[in-house]
Amino acid sequence: MTQDLNIQLVRVDNRLVHGQILESWVPYVKAQCIIVVDDGIAGNVFDETVIRMAVPSEIDLIINTVEDFAHNYNFSHNKGKNTIVLFRSIRDVCKAYELGFHFDKLNIGNIHHEEFKVCCSPSVFLCDTEIEDIIRLLENDGVVVELKRVPRERAVNIREALKGYCNVLP
Amino acid sequence: MIGVLITTHGNLGNELIKAAELIKGPLSDILHVSVDQSKNVEDIKKEIGNAIKKLDKEKGVLVLTDLFGGTPSNISLSFMKDQKVEVVTGVNLPMLLKLSEVKEGMTLREFACFIKEHGQKNIYVASELLSKKALG
Repeated sequence: MTQDLNIQLVRVDNRLVHGQILESWVPYVKAQCIIVVDDGIAGNVFDETVIRMAVPSEIDLIINTVEDFAHNYNFSHNKGKNTIVLFRSIRDVCKAYELGFHFDKLNIGNIHHEEFKVCCSPSVFLCDTEIEDIIRLLENDGVVVELKRVPRERAVNIREALKGYCNVLP
Repeated sequence: MIGVLITTHGNLGNELIKAAELIKGPLSDILHVSVDQSKNVEDIKKEIGNAIKKLDKEKGVLVLTDLFGGTPSNISLSFMKDQKVEVVTGVNLPMLLKLSEVKEGMTLREFACFIKEHGQKNIYVASELLSKKALG
């Protein structure tokens, strides 16, 4: 399946579709399509229905597993529908990147890892593995990772946020 | 008695309860769970699950949430699968004031519809009302 999608936002948010997405990001990027990429939700009728109910009917909603998503979608810039892509975890977005879903900018909204090592912002708590994954992602040319809950908030670059934690950032 | 759980972004639910109690006096069988960004989704799920358990006295629990599609509402919906739970979104003060009027024999579903209708009915544009009654 190939669709012309103009990716406006790639985001990690453990709440997936919720108030910040529907009330802030959707109007901000004039989203016409939301893609939820999550192995736990895709194929789960109840969970899919809850998300479908929440998303306004004029917005296309695609729910896919990480692998299917990375393999089946082609993205182009500047044409097609304004699209928001949501992942639940750093691990999932990195897996998608490795499988071929490339992007320039990753937005981190909400992550609360129970065994977190670094609190980067009031809504982002990262564990060791997540930090390692992010560092690997940053080794790719031109990839920027920033923390920002809602569009009107000042973005914090992950390099700033991790400064005290590790000195060797690519 | 049907239990009532209010779950909202921030402390809104708690403040709504306080406001309702100011008008009506103490409310019974009502709890509040606040959802803020520093809480893990799993922890919020546990908190809401525990509150539902505490409130369920055989007739089920009505969950009032602020925003359809928001985290408090999304998590509440996940309890509809295996518990006696109804979710009504868009909670407002008129709804809370009506809670004590639950009638004997009302099912959870009937109670949910009753509260929803009351909440909707009590939203007015004042000038539209006034133009009918006072302004002619």
